[in-house]
Amino acid sequence: MKLSRPVTRQPPETIVALIDVVFFLLVFFMLIGRMDATAPFDVAPPTAATGANMPAGGITISVSEGGNIAVDGVLVDRNALDDTVKPLIAQDANALVRINAHRETELRHVLPLVNRMEALGAQDVVLVVTPETSPPSQ
Amino acid sequence: MQDPSISILKRHKPPRALISLVPMIDVMLILLVFFMVTSTYLNLDMIPAVERVDDASTSDGSSGSTGTATTIMIRLGADGVPTTQGRGFDLPALEALFLERMASGDDLRVLVLPSGAADMQALVSVMDAATRAGVTNLRVVRLEVAE
Repeated sequence: MKLSRPVTRQPPETIVALIDVVFFLLVFFMLIGRMDATAPFDVAPPTAATGANMPAGGITISVSEGGNIAVDGVLVDRNALDDTVKPLIAQDANALVRINAHRETELRHVLPLVNRMEALGAQDVVLVVTPETSPPSQ
Repeated sequence: MQDPSISILKRHKPPRALISLVPMIDVMLILLVFFMVTSTYLNLDMIPAVERVDDASTSDGSSGSTGTATTIMIRLGADGVPTTQGRGFDLPALEALFLERMASGDDLRVLVLPSGAADMQALVSVMDAATRAGVTNLRVVRLEVAE
């Protein structure tokens, strides 16, 4: 009598582990990411050691090194800035206006913006900085 | 007794339906890619430039304190060097100056008059030095052309 060895079946690979990993990655990126509109140009904010944590939301005005302006990620002509920002402030008078200027932008491009935002009724205007890791070189 | 000519037909039990996990994995992967691509991962802080004034008594620019106030004017040149009373300071020296003025017990009011050609980092560094020294009353002033 011939005895045949039973065929060993490969157990099906479980996809539960894959789901777990993907789910953890999803939660990780949701928690550490910030859903901000990115500027259409390169903006490297100045560094500061005493900045406070910035809450999400609000209106973001980005200023490039050359003085170009973007509101919530959309490039805006400097002369049309008031018309763009005014409705946004009218929608929410308590909205935080964040001025995200490049660290090498000349102040003549930035400081008038603060005054204009204040004149438009913005009650909280902040300058965006990044936490300092080493003393700034000057 | 059961009649042998009658056969009992039994309905087969339907197999238990399995919920496929594949669509869920697809959705999760799409969400994962979405958050990876659209999120920014810069650690951003903020420095207040205009703060809401709730108390009417502070609207005149005073700090609200009854003590005497010392004002120090810092000019920020186009090269980014802070100067006061004709002397240039580096940032540690500027911080030491603030600490020295504050040690007298008076409220210290710092006015920063930056050149329009100075860069943003220079202004933030001066504000940072003042904040580190404990200055709570700092204003940035700007010259405007008279009409």
